Amino acid sequence: MELSEQKTPQCTIIGIEGRLDTTNYNILEKKLMELIDARNDRILVECSKMDYVSSSGLRILLMALKKVTLSKGKFVLCGLQENIREIFEISGFTNIFEIYPGREEALKVF
Amino acid sequence: MTQYIHFRDPHSEEMVRLLETIPKSPGTCFFMDINRSTDIKYQGGLTDWGRKLNNTFNNLLYANHFQHNIVKGIGDEMMLFIPDDTLHGKSSNNSYFALLEDIYASLYLIRHHPDPDLFLNCKVAIHYCTEVYNITFFEGFNDYYGSDIDLTARLMLKSVENRIVMSEKFYIKVKNDLIDMNMPPDSGCVERISDRYIDNFKGVPTSTEFRMLDIN
Repeated sequence: MELSEQKTPQCTIIGIEGRLDTTNYNILEKKLMELIDARNDRILVECSKMDYVSSSGLRILLMALKKVTLSKGKFVLCGLQENIREIFEISGFTNIFEIYPGREEALKVF
Repeated sequence: MTQYIHFRDPHSEEMVRLLETIPKSPGTCFFMDINRSTDIKYQGGLTDWGRKLNNTFNNLLYANHFQHNIVKGIGDEMMLFIPDDTLHGKSSNNSYFALLEDIYASLYLIRHHPDPDLFLNCKVAIHYCTEVYNITFFEGFNDYYGSDIDLTARLMLKSVENRIVMSEKFYIKVKNDLIDMNMPPDSGCVERISDRYIDNFKGVPTSTEFRMLDIN
């Protein structure tokens, strides 16, 4: 998995590329928690290049959402591939996360 | 491949010869049980408890890609078995550490989902089995038998809602994975695992060592 980070006037965009699983979820966890702790709590996670996610990866996204909600920030996802969306549905994530098809639509909500 | 055992003659020499040739099938056995699954059947109708069972089984199985490893369901409890060659043949999450991490994460996701009405909390027991055979006594079924399967079931007696109980044998497998992967010894959920407990279980001739991992 590779992470990218881009600052925009509205938010910080974190791009996930590859497989988010037990071997690397801690990298995403560290990045997200650092951002939130530094009050950069308006975050868009771009998932269009993420082709696999395990429960460990989902756990980090849920933890980040809860933390951002507490700090009254915003945590949004976009670009889920179909197989990832299925996992999100099964996990009951599609009703608790704001999810948009693409980056442009997502940036409008910040 | 599952070996079907079926002989009419209780004294069959052929049966003995066949049983002598059956290889062991080492791997990881899980029992996963849904808590309060009996209570809720008295409290609501099928549309309530059926929906929650659907959601919980899906979360446990499909989010972890375990759906092909189900051996059987008994009421609201599932037995899963992942043979070593299957685990090591996976393209990712192919370690005992990964198994534990993903099960821990699943139970965490269920416990901490913002909508408490979607899923039911679970308890789990895990054991690394060496005394186990891929046999069945029922035509057309896949199954695993052996003293280590029975021990996994016994470990469930020590599990409660939102807890994973693991045998010391499985714990050692997880720790060895961390060494092999050059990861810190307390990586991920491993740092939350309890010290070692020892207890005697019915029918098991020696004491069993196990540890607990609570989902907080």
